[in-house]
Amino acid sequence: MAVSATLLGTFTVGYLIVISLLAYLGYRKTKCADDYMVCGRNIHPIILALSYGATFISTSAIVGFGGLAGQLGMGLIWLTVLNIGVGILLAFAVFGKRTRALGKKLGAMTFPDLMGKAYGSGFIRKAGAMIVVVGMPLYASAILIGGARFIESTFGVTYNTALLAFAVVVAIYVVVGGLIAVMYTDALQGSIMAIGMSILLVLTYVKLGGIREAHAALSSMSDLMPEGLAAAGLTGWTSMPSLGSPIWYTLITTIVLGVGIGVIAQPQLVVRFMTVRNDRSLHRAIAVGGPFIMIMTGVAFTVGALTNVYYLRETGSIALTAAGGNVDSIIPNYINAAMPDAFIVIFMLALLSAAMSTLSSLFHTMGTALGHDLWGAKKNVTSTHKSTQAATIVMIVATIGLAYLMPANIIARATAMFMGLCASALLPAFALALYNKSPSALAAKTSIVTGAAVWFAWTAFIHVKESAALGISSFLFGKDALLAMPWQVVDPLVIALPLSTLALVTMKLWESRASLGSAEQEVEPF
Amino acid sequence: MLGIEDPQIVAAYLAMIACTAACIIYGVSNWNNGGDEDGS
Repeated sequence: MAVSATLLGTFTVGYLIVISLLAYLGYRKTKCADDYMVCGRNIHPIILALSYGATFISTSAIVGFGGLAGQLGMGLIWLTVLNIGVGILLAFAVFGKRTRALGKKLGAMTFPDLMGKAYGSGFIRKAGAMIVVVGMPLYASAILIGGARFIESTFGVTYNTALLAFAVVVAIYVVVGGLIAVMYTDALQGSIMAIGMSILLVLTYVKLGGIREAHAALSSMSDLMPEGLAAAGLTGWTSMPSLGSPIWYTLITTIVLGVGIGVIAQPQLVVRFMTVRNDRSLHRAIAVGGPFIMIMTGVAFTVGALTNVYYLRETGSIALTAAGGNVDSIIPNYINAAMPDAFIVIFMLALLSAAMSTLSSLFHTMGTALGHDLWGAKKNVTSTHKSTQAATIVMIVATIGLAYLMPANIIARATAMFMGLCASALLPAFALALYNKSPSALAAKTSIVTGAAVWFAWTAFIHVKESAALGISSFLFGKDALLAMPWQVVDPLVIALPLSTLALVTMKLWESRASLGSAEQEVEPF
Repeated sequence: MLGIEDPQIVAAYLAMIACTAACIIYGVSNWNNGGDEDGS
């Protein structure tokens, strides 16, 4: 650790004290289940924008994907375009307003609850909740592992201590203060992240001699591209990979489309649209949320790519080589090596904030899915925030257990997998629920089952990065992937989402035609 | 532009700035719209 322990300790203690105060405020304001799950539908638009953004952007987005930009270059900026255009503008203006109005009309308190009530279907509510209860612990434990590894290296404590301390601190304010505490702390954490990333961009350009000079220096490095990456399609750090190359497919389908579109049907983000009183709050949140995301991923991907210039000047090698081949080390190594001590502390708190804000939202979403959507539905009674608190504790314990079992290198993959599954299974049905006056439950069920099944089949048998890791294809058919290139590098979402959409449209049309036919039969006697 | 020659990367940065500007313009131009309790 490059920075003074006293400085880091002082800032961290101050940070935890403010987090505790905000958690207490959340606890004081939480009087009923409505407060615990949707903040009494009365949250401030700026808090919504910062909370949505801070939940959206985890440590993995900054360190993992920032490091990936150090390896693959500025093509990742296309992901930022989708993060803002789809993840904020489209999500708030098109999906958010309808979600808020429908959620209020139906009295929905979670995403699965909204879907179930919109379709009048217990199956859809439970299917949505099961995706959260079964799939989200993988994502949450990946965030937990990433946070614990970061705390371990920053504060010099053992991994087990870091993991437990991190989980317990977040668990306390989620369980005690509900979504109000989660969103208040998110807003603080989002502010720290925005300050940290803004300073990082400015200091990086200053360090490298200016904007044009830094970019030109990076452009001139293309002949230093490692042979393996060049053979796979990389042409430089300020240019796109060759069209149709394996890296081009991975960049476009998994990173840009997979993560960029996957964000729309994320249960922990959708519920935030139901926390505001009116559309005015959503409009105002868009004006804050767009620039926030640009400052987060736009800066992370730009600085990530530019670390190559810094390392070439300082060590004579590219960033990936200087990081010992570990993409996840590029950003932390660069911060420690190139930035002043005071900024290192701010950036460390920003990363801690990114992990805490995402984890707290996932804990809360899993707790409400189990307590409200599954237990509540089973008992056929209205859940209280006490029962949801109990369910949240159960899900947190399950996540901690899973974190001990999962391999450490699963973080970025688990994130992309959960986002892909949510979008493939839930996005078409979610859109139909919002935009159709009489949405067809049959069409929605067919779409959800199709999306989930195709996503799983493509993940387990075709997309080689996952299918090789899972081993099901190898066990059954003796090979890691059943299709050849380029299908092996096409993300499951790119296949499953169009098919789940097609299933929805087909069933909806079939049902409309069938009901039209029966109506004609009924009027025949006249 | 600004030391970047590939038009696809330049386009990505311009699209990023355009999307951010669109968020600000949309949010500011609708700043006081939809303010009643029902949001209609």
